[in-house]
Amino acid sequence: MAGRMPDGFNSGEALPPALLYRRCAPGELPFQLSSELADAPAMIGQERAAEAVAFALSMRHKGYNVFALGPAGTGRHSLVVELLRRRAETESTPSDWCYVNNFADAQRPRRLDLPAGQGAGLAAAMKHLIDELRVALPAAFERDEYRARREVIDQQAKSHSEEGFGGLQQRAEAKGIALIRTPMGLALAPKRDGKVMNPEDFEALPEEERTRIEHDLHEAQGELETVMRQVPQWEREHREALRALNRDTTGYAVGNLMRDVRTGYADLPDVLEYLDAVERDIKDNAEDFLPQAPPSPETAGGPPPSAAAQAAMEDMRYRRYQVNVIVDNGGRQANGEQGAPIIYEDNPTYQNLIGRVEHLARFGALITDFNLIQAGALHRANGGYLILDAERLIAGGYGWAGLKRALQSGEIRIESIEQALSLATTVSLQPEPIPLDVKIVLIGAPALYYLLSQHDEDFAELFKIAADFDDRVTRDGDATMLFARVIATQVRRLGLRAFERDAVARVIERASRLVEDSERLSTSIRAIVELLQEADQLAADAGKDVVGAADVQAAIDARNRRGDRIYRRMQEEIARRTIRIETDGEVVGQINGLSVMSLGALAFGNPTRITAQVRMGRGEVVDIEREVQLGGPLHSKGVLILTGFLGGRFGAGRPLSLHASLVFEQSYGGVDGDSASAAELFALLSALAEVPIRQCFAVTGSVDQHGVIQAIGGVNEKIEGFFDICRAAGLTGRQGVIIPASNVKHLMLRDDVVAAADAGQFRVIPMATIDQGFELLTGVPTATTDAKIAARLDEFAAKAAALMRAQSGAAP
Amino acid sequence: MNGTVERIVVALDATSENRVAIGAAARLAARWGVHLHGVFVEDDDLIRLAHLPFARVVTLGAGVEVFDLQQAERQMRVFAERARQELAASAKRQSVEWSFEIARAGGRLTASTGDFLVAGTTTRPVGRHFRVECRWWAIAEAGPSTRLLAHREGDPHGTVAAVLRGREASSERLLAAAIRLAEANEAGLTLIVPPSLAEAPGFKPWLDERLAGHAVETELELLPAPSGLHRRITELHCRLVAVEAGADEAHPDRLRELVATIACDVLVVG
Repeated sequence: MAGRMPDGFNSGEALPPALLYRRCAPGELPFQLSSELADAPAMIGQERAAEAVAFALSMRHKGYNVFALGPAGTGRHSLVVELLRRRAETESTPSDWCYVNNFADAQRPRRLDLPAGQGAGLAAAMKHLIDELRVALPAAFERDEYRARREVIDQQAKSHSEEGFGGLQQRAEAKGIALIRTPMGLALAPKRDGKVMNPEDFEALPEEERTRIEHDLHEAQGELETVMRQVPQWEREHREALRALNRDTTGYAVGNLMRDVRTGYADLPDVLEYLDAVERDIKDNAEDFLPQAPPSPETAGGPPPSAAAQAAMEDMRYRRYQVNVIVDNGGRQANGEQGAPIIYEDNPTYQNLIGRVEHLARFGALITDFNLIQAGALHRANGGYLILDAERLIAGGYGWAGLKRALQSGEIRIESIEQALSLATTVSLQPEPIPLDVKIVLIGAPALYYLLSQHDEDFAELFKIAADFDDRVTRDGDATMLFARVIATQVRRLGLRAFERDAVARVIERASRLVEDSERLSTSIRAIVELLQEADQLAADAGKDVVGAADVQAAIDARNRRGDRIYRRMQEEIARRTIRIETDGEVVGQINGLSVMSLGALAFGNPTRITAQVRMGRGEVVDIEREVQLGGPLHSKGVLILTGFLGGRFGAGRPLSLHASLVFEQSYGGVDGDSASAAELFALLSALAEVPIRQCFAVTGSVDQHGVIQAIGGVNEKIEGFFDICRAAGLTGRQGVIIPASNVKHLMLRDDVVAAADAGQFRVIPMATIDQGFELLTGVPTATTDAKIAARLDEFAAKAAALMRAQSGAAP
Repeated sequence: MNGTVERIVVALDATSENRVAIGAAARLAARWGVHLHGVFVEDDDLIRLAHLPFARVVTLGAGVEVFDLQQAERQMRVFAERARQELAASAKRQSVEWSFEIARAGGRLTASTGDFLVAGTTTRPVGRHFRVECRWWAIAEAGPSTRLLAHREGDPHGTVAAVLRGREASSERLLAAAIRLAEANEAGLTLIVPPSLAEAPGFKPWLDERLAGHAVETELELLPAPSGLHRRITELHCRLVAVEAGADEAHPDRLRELVATIACDVLVVG
């Protein structure tokens, strides 16, 4: 019961070896070594994605950010970077961004933007200015004219003291009263013989004398109080006079130096405004630039500060004049990076994106200022492009929320997470926000893109462009040659040995196997790169100068071998009959089904014995897997479909008075998918017709209600899994796998399977319908089996009717 | 200072700038490897003042306050503890052993043989500029014992100068002390001598004999007229000036002028 298929093979007949594996013909690869090939122009098969990215880049309107979706390893990152690079090179280099002290409110540092390269220049100019002032101002304050003026001021202050205290002291002394320094202040006391008078001596004085002394003391004390009250005023006057002198002295030195600094920024009003503020502050705080006097005995307590502490204090005095260049695009230019920046942030947490304000431990406390503001990726990418991994962004501590807020507001506002969430009550810096002009490219899995589209209202507004990356490309002549160039490009990029033509061909064939399709090539560059590297290493180990096809095959085999422990264990247990799989003989109601197990990077076929039992019943087919909750919904659907097939073919003229049960024998885990539905139907038909099934076959395929066989996944692994069991048991030439005819194009089988088929030791047979498959499995024509099934069903129906009559007759 | 120094005694009280004296004393104790002993003396005048019924103290911060015995004792306890802590910190920095005592009111600051006394010269100022005279100036007048009147804060630089008047025992002690201090500080020594002494027969051999065995760079200068001594010492940028206790330049008034002019420490050798 063979049928001619459009793809050039006959269903119901063993496939020729040429259809089991599509080789890369030498004529498709006109070269000897990969080194002869030019670099591939770009990724292959990603025209749609490339067009989307290019469109997004050309749109400068808000929200035209890109989500590059596609399977991992398909070159999304490389393509995006390449497209961005081409675009960015043609664009201007954006500004440098700096934070400087806000002399009016240090809590709110000011931003400055300067043409690229001038940020670092301003920082250097300010550092130079401070260095100069640290020399120039002390020198100015050391000059004779300053010292003379200072002495006049000090003398004025001193004369106040002398006139006030000294005068008082003299007048008191004249009256026999001493001015005494007490621990806390000054006191007056009567003297005798140069010492304070004893209380006894005082009491012994005549009344008149005591009264006089007390009067004099009272008077002097009043005078002392008056003088003491004037002291703060004298000190204030002294300070103001000194400040005025310092300002005058500073003004000249500062003015000259500031003029030099301003020269380079004449066309930048913000910078000039900042420099004006700097000049005012320096003049107001000139003493900061003078050598600091050691702490006075009045104020000092404990040991003097260490040299490190003194250096730290020294540093603190000048920090407010520094310029914190948070984005140095001039530095990029100096490193040969031209145009707009392209930044990839591989850890897109909130702070890594938005920036942070760090703190320093100083003298037991945490302090901060504008110098500790650190740029985030958004700052560095501002005026250019930022690439982020979408999954890390969503998973990484508020990064997504921070990014959305920045994009929506059009500015970067540096806040801690606590501030952003209104959880912090401590005072911290509030740096002036920086305007944001950036194009974001998120790279992520399709599922994440669809999730965000559905559940995040802001997503569609902010990421208007989806660049959809394909995981496969049609395997035609052009694509094959382009793929060969991709291989050559990667070989060169990775510094590997050149690949021979056969090796390249083997890699291309592997790319087909990776997507389970002889007519397609995988675009997973990552998998290809890994294969190239591993093959190169094996060639190196063998002392070869070039990589051959055998090296590529050895790399594939080695990779499979590294991950096949579980597979080999199962094969062993089948060979030892612990797990029963028959590869010979005939059994009623039993068939070899095939499933695929994926463990890590390796997927392998796993034969399973499926059995069916029938008896009289109420027309139900029981899926035992479902009954014990091991069957998934797709599997249950398959069972219900075959029930539909039975009803359609055999239930039109009779009641289906049967009870059938289906089970995956020795299966102890979950079962899903409908790829075993054809095998289950064959087992059921066999049980109904009481026609044995040849156990030399394994079957895979799903079935519809009309009995048409449909394609399934993992066809190569399934065939290879049954082949390995048959080989272990001994190849007879009768063994084989029956597959859906629509899966023939997916065949990219192992060499040993193809060789066995070529030698007539193993067969892969496509089937188009249930009838075709059942004839292959039983050797009995469909008409015969159908008649037997009909008779069996009639028998069940008759028995059921009789039973019902008996039950109704027995009823009262 | 004619024998071995066994202990540095630093005089402390509630009104002086004790840190200066403590720093100088600790450095000397470290250089000579001797014990550092602090004596906080409760001022008799303050105690007597506190006993007077009308005693009042005028402060910058709180105006007029009653100054009774209880308050005087409380304040002195506070300052004694502060002095003790400063002494401990300095001793720790210099890695010397130290001790501390409080000489109660009526007690005297006494020095025994082997003690080297260090005292400050200034009280804490009132209103930045006004200072009353430090009670330790009296030490300069008190007797022939050797004392250091510490005036400069920190480890000073410059030479050691000594005004050598003759070849008597007191002059010999002065010279020995000056050599020792110069040696300990790795400083030069400038000897200022009257022309009559410089030209006296046998002076040079006498001097060479006493300098023998000491690695001190010595210069000899003639003593100028009295009015020129301070100027010359100022020009020398001395770290310390050593004078004989009985000499004119050791008179307290001269010393006050000297300290006010050049702010150096003064060693009075008795």
